[in-house]
Amino acid sequence: MLAAHLASSSDLPPWAVLLACALALGSFVLLAIELRRRESGGAAIVLSGLLAVAALLLAVLRPVRIAARESLVGARVVVLADASRSMALEGEGGKPRRAVRDEVLAGLEKSTKDARLLILGFGDGAPKPLDNSPELSTSAPRSDLAAALRALEVAPDERPAAVVVVSDGRLDDPPEDASAATLRALGQSLAVPIHTIATSQKAPPDASIRKVLAAGSAVAHVPLPIRVEIGCAGGLACDELAVTARELRDDGPPALLASGLAHLKDGKGTLDLTVTLERAGARILEIAVAAPSGDTVPANDRRLVTFNVARERVRVLHVAGRPTNDVRALREWLKSDASVDVVAFFILRTAINNPNASQDELALIPFPVDELFSEHLPSFDAVVLQDFDAQPYGLERHLPALAKYVREGGGLIMVGGKNAFVQGGYALTPLGDKTGVLPVMLDGTPGATAADVSSFVPAWTASGLGAPLLGPLRSIVGEDLPDMPGANVLGDVRAGSVVLWTHPTRKTPSGAPMPVLAIGDQGDGRTIALGVDGGWLFEFSGLGARTAGRGYGALWDGLLGWLMRDPRFEPAQLEVVGGCTAGLPITLRARLLAGVSGAGTDKVTIDVSRIDKTSAAAPIHIEKPRGGNVVDVPVPALEPGGYTARLHVGTGATTRFDFACEAGGDEWADSRPDPGRLQALAEATGGRFMNAGEDLSLLPLPKPTVVSAERHVVPVAPPWAWTLLAAVALGAHWIVRRKGGLS
Amino acid sequence: MTVGLVIGVLVALVPQPARAFGDVGAFDPRVLLTGTQTGAARPTAPMRWSNELLSRTSAPARARPTTVRADDRAITDEPFVFWSGDAAVAPLTGSEIAGLRRFFTLGGIMLVDDAAPGPTGQPGPFGKSAREQIARVLPDGAPIPIGDEHVIFRTFYLLRRAEGRIEGAKTLDAIVRGGRTQVIFSEHDLGGALARGVTGAWELPVVPGGDIQREHAIRLAVNIAMYVLCSNYKDDQVHAPFLMRRRALAPE
Repeated sequence: MLAAHLASSSDLPPWAVLLACALALGSFVLLAIELRRRESGGAAIVLSGLLAVAALLLAVLRPVRIAARESLVGARVVVLADASRSMALEGEGGKPRRAVRDEVLAGLEKSTKDARLLILGFGDGAPKPLDNSPELSTSAPRSDLAAALRALEVAPDERPAAVVVVSDGRLDDPPEDASAATLRALGQSLAVPIHTIATSQKAPPDASIRKVLAAGSAVAHVPLPIRVEIGCAGGLACDELAVTARELRDDGPPALLASGLAHLKDGKGTLDLTVTLERAGARILEIAVAAPSGDTVPANDRRLVTFNVARERVRVLHVAGRPTNDVRALREWLKSDASVDVVAFFILRTAINNPNASQDELALIPFPVDELFSEHLPSFDAVVLQDFDAQPYGLERHLPALAKYVREGGGLIMVGGKNAFVQGGYALTPLGDKTGVLPVMLDGTPGATAADVSSFVPAWTASGLGAPLLGPLRSIVGEDLPDMPGANVLGDVRAGSVVLWTHPTRKTPSGAPMPVLAIGDQGDGRTIALGVDGGWLFEFSGLGARTAGRGYGALWDGLLGWLMRDPRFEPAQLEVVGGCTAGLPITLRARLLAGVSGAGTDKVTIDVSRIDKTSAAAPIHIEKPRGGNVVDVPVPALEPGGYTARLHVGTGATTRFDFACEAGGDEWADSRPDPGRLQALAEATGGRFMNAGEDLSLLPLPKPTVVSAERHVVPVAPPWAWTLLAAVALGAHWIVRRKGGLS
Repeated sequence: MTVGLVIGVLVALVPQPARAFGDVGAFDPRVLLTGTQTGAARPTAPMRWSNELLSRTSAPARARPTTVRADDRAITDEPFVFWSGDAAVAPLTGSEIAGLRRFFTLGGIMLVDDAAPGPTGQPGPFGKSAREQIARVLPDGAPIPIGDEHVIFRTFYLLRRAEGRIEGAKTLDAIVRGGRTQVIFSEHDLGGALARGVTGAWELPVVPGGDIQREHAIRLAVNIAMYVLCSNYKDDQVHAPFLMRRRALAPE
């Protein structure tokens, strides 16, 4: 808009203008005093005096006319809208809190036309422009208002003149019990008032798992106390609620680990449970509460909590069919590693041996096969069956349990020898048959060849050369391998398993080179088949002498480490970027080991499937070019549940990663809105608190600033004219004064 | 041509050492030769040792034990050597010392059996000289006595003392390095108790205990072989309560 106004000459500083005006005012006062001494003509003296002082003042100020194009610039007001998952919950009247939030935002835009509103969504970290879609505008896994305010403080943009927060008040930070001083500090560095608008007031009828707290970190085989906090609000009747803790497992329904009854008082209760996780790595626990009828938020009746279970020591059960140099080498290696806890049983005497002594003269104890493979089996991280015949010692009847143990996350290594694999009677068992857990199939036909007694040097496969688990061995022996004194006859490798060494001449029934060393994933667990008993030749042989015997330790370090999912031997590490929220697409990031190479390693494949197999949804299969060593793989939206992602790099070994997707996560754990916290924040920072639906024009936002453009300055009269006018007026006043009897 | 063919057939018919799959890792009471030594002091003892191990235990053993010279590259092909003698041995050469050091570095175990100890078990000329030479090979290890608390005395049989052709001391001596017993010294002529001629008769009388002492000597040999193959397996906690109970019940 165009505007014009008068001003003093621009060459006058403000103090000079003020001084001139003060002197003019002083002159009027002196004139009034002088009037008492007049003889006549008071009105004329006053009038001429006023004119003279005014003319003199104008001669000093020399007025100019300023014409300019002016505009009003509204104050910058940042509106922080809650973009957390809790805004997807229903508020009053069955309307989502998000919808109420969006109505408030629209209302603010209408009622505060003089302000420059910048609407940002806050959640996790710095605030970002609020997404328009209902899903994405409620996707933040946290509601960290403090982080958003801190980000505004340090942002290089124009500072806001006020902040308006639109939220349900269920914030992570500031917390529920924040003091007034803490709240005040949030607005202090920005030095602006924080106005707050609550989207909801009433808690929905809801019982939920509010928190799951673990005392310390989870260690395999060690009981872990967990505290479960349960909440009940919205008028539900909850005096006692049953709580269960179950572990999601790959091979079947979740396994119940603990349960209890929580007693609630004033809508709150806690229950202490103790769970024991037997397997290391990422394990997903489902903590669930049996909510009473009328619960309107069933999604928060169960929480999926991922525990990264550490291993204090690797517990290995080493069972050997007879003592040999190979058994000795493995035992010495296992015992030399302080992080390995070995329980060993070697068969030192068979039915055909005659020790020529009574039982009391022998240092032999019975092989407790039933006790080991039933009661104690879950307590082991890995089982090594070395040159062991399953039949004479009653192991056959425990092989189904051993296969189940593997599928539930255990590790199994079968090491070759005269009594291993086909000769050991494993072919038609849950270890070696068509659906068995060993990475290779075994020939169970009568008269099947059990061993090839000709010596040979195993050949490396492309996968073997690129496998991280054999990296340490290769760094010591290169591609040299000892001359092996024969091999167990192994069949074709199972789908998904990987062959690392092969026999140079023998073929499998399918015509492929016979595996000598193969690895594979089975359910939650892993297995290895090593079809030779000459591993000890990495120590005692020409190669062993040349390498100081270090190859043996390097081989087993890799084998056992891979079996135990040691990150050093995984071809890649996987993570979900930003966590997984059910119903939203996610990104799986694979960090590939730089040295992973081999056939087809220019491509990565990811398979994502439900851990508990309870969903009818088909597993997701994605292939992507490798590009670099960091590969981001977009995955479509998933339902709530526990998932396993398996990454294959080319034809090499698989990396497994378990993760949980929840509909609401922490954000839905406590569904009650908290307008009180918003009110306290507004009061502490000098802002105003309002509820959604109130007249938003009452928000005391800062006034806009006037900005002028295209300014034209024109003197009202030339300086000489003002001087002449002043001289004339002063002269006339002098004449009138004289006539009135004043000097 | 015909003669060559016949020789070839004959060579093929000569029995070869059993090296079937599963036997290469078998216990081999390998005879160690140094200096001018040409064989074990009791040449039939190693084979007897293997036979006793095969018949009494599940452990595989070489039916035809081998020999190896200390300076031969093959010294590092197996984890055990058996050094015996009845006369003082010549000082080890540099290459013999180097070979034995390589052997011990890999974790090898040596039994030094004095075939001609004093009547009460004091080291004879071989025992004394062998100890001197081993001290040159392993200057960081000194022999210490090991008694029935050591795992060698319970790897298969529960033994209360060491015995051989002669009764000697109750204990053996051993050099323990890094927690491993690597050299075992016997002044009991263990090989003498094992030696058995082609007729099946024992070659040497065992004094003073006769057949019972011989049986105990065989048991000690079996235990040593089991120590080579199983290491300290019987020291595992799982065996402790059984073995303590049996020791407590066994007659002195």
